[in-house]
Amino acid sequence: MRILIATVQIPFIRGGAEIHAEGLRDALCRAGHEAEILAIPFKWYPPEKILDHILACRLLDVSEVAGTRVDRVIGLRFPAYLIPHPNKVLWILHQHRTAYELWDHALSDLVYYPNGSQVRDAIEEADRKLIPEARAVFTNSRNVAQRLRRFCDIESTPLYHPPPNAEKFYSASAEDYLFFPSRLCIPKRQELALEALAATRNPVRLSFAGTSDHPDYTAKLQSLARKLKLQKRVEWLGGISEEEKRSRYASALAVVYPPTDEDYGYVTLEAMLASKPVITCRDSGGPLEFVEDQATGLITDPTPDALAAAFDFVWENRDQAEGWGRAGRVRYENLNLSWDYVIKKLLA
Amino acid sequence: MKINWFCPLPPARTSVADDYLVGILPSLSQHSELTLWTDQNNWDRSLEKLAMVRRYEPERISWPELNHADVTFYNIGNNHLFHASIWQVSRRHPGIVVLHDSRVYNFFDSLYRGQWRDLEGYLAELKRYYGNEGLRAGTEFLSSGAVNIDFMTEHYPLTPLALENCLAVVVHTQEAFEQVEAMQYWPVVSAALPRALPPHRDGNDTVRSAIPPYRLIMFGYMGRNRRLDAVLEALVTLPERDSFQLDIFGEIPDERSLRRRIGKLGLGGLVQLHGYTHETELNKVLQTSHLAINLRYPTMGEASGSQLRIWYHALPSLVTDVGWYSSLSRDTVAHVRPEHEIADIQSYLQAFLKDPEPFAKMGQRGLRTLREQHDPDKYVQTILNLAANARQFTVRKSAYDLARRAGTIMGSWTSNAGKEPIRIAEKIHEICGR
Repeated sequence: MRILIATVQIPFIRGGAEIHAEGLRDALCRAGHEAEILAIPFKWYPPEKILDHILACRLLDVSEVAGTRVDRVIGLRFPAYLIPHPNKVLWILHQHRTAYELWDHALSDLVYYPNGSQVRDAIEEADRKLIPEARAVFTNSRNVAQRLRRFCDIESTPLYHPPPNAEKFYSASAEDYLFFPSRLCIPKRQELALEALAATRNPVRLSFAGTSDHPDYTAKLQSLARKLKLQKRVEWLGGISEEEKRSRYASALAVVYPPTDEDYGYVTLEAMLASKPVITCRDSGGPLEFVEDQATGLITDPTPDALAAAFDFVWENRDQAEGWGRAGRVRYENLNLSWDYVIKKLLA
Repeated sequence: MKINWFCPLPPARTSVADDYLVGILPSLSQHSELTLWTDQNNWDRSLEKLAMVRRYEPERISWPELNHADVTFYNIGNNHLFHASIWQVSRRHPGIVVLHDSRVYNFFDSLYRGQWRDLEGYLAELKRYYGNEGLRAGTEFLSSGAVNIDFMTEHYPLTPLALENCLAVVVHTQEAFEQVEAMQYWPVVSAALPRALPPHRDGNDTVRSAIPPYRLIMFGYMGRNRRLDAVLEALVTLPERDSFQLDIFGEIPDERSLRRRIGKLGLGGLVQLHGYTHETELNKVLQTSHLAINLRYPTMGEASGSQLRIWYHALPSLVTDVGWYSSLSRDTVAHVRPEHEIADIQSYLQAFLKDPEPFAKMGQRGLRTLREQHDPDKYVQTILNLAANARQFTVRKSAYDLARRAGTIMGSWTSNAGKEPIRIAEKIHEICGR
């Protein structure tokens, strides 16, 4: 089949969504299909631009290219998933979040614009009317499926997929650090992790990997670390290779992943593949679908003190942490995540 | 339902605050979670028993607070002192406009030319809505005075500018309804201007002397369209003028020159100017008055809160035979033809002297009309129905905005886009619904 993967690309920003699209493309190609990523540039401010982007997507015609039919479109991200096609399947990573679950959240920008509610209503209207055009609607997690039902009354099926290079993850003896791999940005809550680190009883060390969406944000985090006198206990790895990432996972005592209402989150699954316990928060969304409190990790309140207590616990109870890590790996195996299954569902 | 309500608040000297808002507030606050927004420094604190009151400045307002309500209502009328800030917010945050005057040229004239001293902006708006013809008229109005403000009001009412970012419109007159509907841009609803009325009010609290001189009364803001000159002219040439006395209550833009004119006409003993008077005092005077003169020419497309107050006191009245006043039943008011003003006023005054009884009945029928047609509860139900549909209006507006942007972009590269606009329109319908 000739398949287009419809997604958006925010220029110069790379994260889980881009990896997800590439993983799907590669899996489709491995399965013998001809697949390409169709990425629409996306800008969300001022808010009326969002509606312009919806219209731009609706005006695209990808039913065929140079006289040859496109057999299937798989829509991943708003508003690219609204591109029309007679044989479209959605595998939604998330909707436009500030119009929905983040509308009232501190991270929201839309609500601060005079026409915020007007644009929010139009986004919801477009989603409600146009998402059901697809022949099937999947989401990347239960969390995203619940939001779709809650806000738009649309039923969907969660469809999990393995993180990239899942087979290459391994485990090694735990060293004296916790590992927090992620883009450096407000929704991932590196600031919360730093404040927690400052509140620990033990000299817990935390290693951050990842780059920032905004150049200033790394400096802001580093400044916070200095202010909290954590320089010697924090390591900033920046962008690292996949090999190094796997190595850091392998030797970590535990993995820290406390984002705000994450959609899915590769970090959780990667930690489980590396047999490491995951420390996450009650409002972290996607990770909660995989982490079992005090069985494969720790789930805490999203406060520095609660998170610090979890850091101290794994620091002081290493055997237990190791056991939770091993249990996480078993849990991962039991999930039976595979691209073959994903493709079978998306192309049915 | 959470509602933002932008409106002048008591004690602002406008009937929008003291009659209109006070009349609907009990019912409106009972059926919604209401926030009153005001740019006034002072307001009647008793309002806070019924609604939250938030002060704002147009350039410093909490958009999240507005966005968290289900809908925002903006009350817009001709007096820029009370409505300028409201209009400024309405331009940025879409909401439903309650249009108290359907011709708002005076509002923009006072705002652009008077308050902002922005002649360029004033002319730009005239050009935007009325093309080169509007620009020419505006320029002429500014430079030579060959056209006057009444002409501008009639031909260039600037109503669309008052509504430019709105979701839907509430009007109080059939004329305004037709005017807004003809623009084919906004959903519009007409609802009779409300006024609270105690259930058993029969107008029997009036204490009207049975012998001359009979008390004539005019009240409210005495702008040029209140026809004071014509009333004075009618009195001065009326042989039976000594059978009447005229009390004028309310602000007068140029009181000194009016006093001079009254003196010059020899009406000093007959006409009394009282200035702005608190409504309690005004109501007492209305109870003892025999006939109200409530003329408007030209009309600004308003329904008259003063007229409802007149009826509240079962008082007969003379009104101009134009606009909303023209639609009033002929057994509830006496119509004065604008082209025969003086003759008609005199004729009604003479008829009154001959037999006051039909006029007293006219007042009673006015009171009945007030009860039957101007019920605040019914009005509030209309408002709530609109609020319930706000989302539909919002999405509709998004479609229009999107179409305008698409049209603007396409216009930059082609003057003949063929079928493309239709295709874009279809796609916009797909996004925003029909």
